[in-house]
Amino acid sequence: MDGSVRVRKLDKIFSIRRARPTTFKMIKSLLRGDRGAAEKFFALKDINLEIIAGEKLGIVGNNGSGKTTLLKVLAGLYRPDRGRVEVSGRMAFLAGLGIGMIDDLSVERNVFLYGTIYGLEIETIRERVQEIIDWAELQDFSRAKLKTLSSGMRTRLAFSTVRHIEADIFLLDEALTTGDKNFKKKCEEYFQSQKDSRATYLVSTHDLEFVGQFCRRTLWLHKGKIRALGDTDKVLKLYQESRA
Amino acid sequence: MTLLKLKDQSTLFGFVWTFLNPLAIVTILFIFFRLRIGPQVEHYAVFLLIGIIQYTHFSNSTSAAMHVLVAMRQLTGNTIFPKEILILSSVLSSVLELVLSMVICLLFALFTGLRPSWPLLLLPLVLLQQVLMVFWVSLCLSGLYIFIRDIDHIYHVFLRVLLFTTPIFYDLSFLGDGLARQIALLNPLTHLILYSRQLIISGTIFPLSGFALFTLANCILIILSLMIFRKAEPSFAEHI
Repeated sequence: MDGSVRVRKLDKIFSIRRARPTTFKMIKSLLRGDRGAAEKFFALKDINLEIIAGEKLGIVGNNGSGKTTLLKVLAGLYRPDRGRVEVSGRMAFLAGLGIGMIDDLSVERNVFLYGTIYGLEIETIRERVQEIIDWAELQDFSRAKLKTLSSGMRTRLAFSTVRHIEADIFLLDEALTTGDKNFKKKCEEYFQSQKDSRATYLVSTHDLEFVGQFCRRTLWLHKGKIRALGDTDKVLKLYQESRA
Repeated sequence: MTLLKLKDQSTLFGFVWTFLNPLAIVTILFIFFRLRIGPQVEHYAVFLLIGIIQYTHFSNSTSAAMHVLVAMRQLTGNTIFPKEILILSSVLSSVLELVLSMVICLLFALFTGLRPSWPLLLLPLVLLQQVLMVFWVSLCLSGLYIFIRDIDHIYHVFLRVLLFTTPIFYDLSFLGDGLARQIALLNPLTHLILYSRQLIISGTIFPLSGFALFTLANCILIILSLMIFRKAEPSFAEHI
């Protein structure tokens, strides 16, 4: 369990459908044996990737380039259509912040709920709940219902909680935060502290400045294929030139 | 517990709604069947109440659990914790309702003159079997519902059929010895209701070998359902 990731000849194919087929249509097409008749497209095509333990890899690309799909395949949320994925270690997949939080529960109860979803032990949360609320600067709201918080406050609470996740591999899908200046600085400090950690990070984002600061290597995906993979400065330069 | 606390929290009667629905059905069925079936069945009101409580629990908890993965699509599609926990939490949130309903039923039984005897101590085991059965049925339904949305409609028709093919407002002897009886006996809910009635109304113990077999089948079905559920899990996010 070291935190390495290996991807070999990975393909992920999606069907393009205008609407969800009815069960009758599904049965009809199954009986006819034309399961492959729907229009298909490669969300990922022939992806080869090797990430060593502790590496921080940035993933950039336009919308629809396959960043989320790649992370979801690595997380086991999507089944690969071809190829192999080998992941060694405990994973945490963060797609957005605050997923699973419940509006009608208090801030404190949400810390427990959110922490549990991401694998934190109840005892650990109990020990750290005050620190989590303090870090998010929500001391005065610990008993308030989540729905009374602004979106910025919710994001702070979620980020504050996920800092405590223990994993060998972090898959971050647009989970980086924006907020007021003070909070952004705290986030930057947190990621700075993680830069030399033993944990592996795969970060999919449009925040190229963050990738430049945090990741030594970067993967540029374009229409499901690897356009470039290597030193962050070089890959970002190529990526930015393509967009100019 | 979170789901339980959130349920009905904004309604006028809150948690009491949980009991009002089965109570209304029991009252209607009692009024309509008391004169026809009632005289042939001892303590018909308690008899009816047991059947309705167990059927309502089965029907409500499996229907709710079926929708959990889709209702919580953000969690299903974007987190990597075991999704069976969502089903389990939905199933467990209805356990308190079942237990409280049974307690009310027992108080009602006392009020109607039934005296508790020691076999009643086995009632929690029967209720546990019911919860286990709800769990494996919910695992199958919730997984299927992701791929085939018609399951929702089909299952509601099935529940209507189940209401009439399970001896809830009539005794098993009412079906005679023919095919109808055999069909009713194939239904696991029939056995659970019969077990509870035997403990509460007759005050006698049911055949333990049959109960052991039921428990074994329940355990095997939970393992099988879990295996199938986990096998299908990597396809949930894509189809949700």
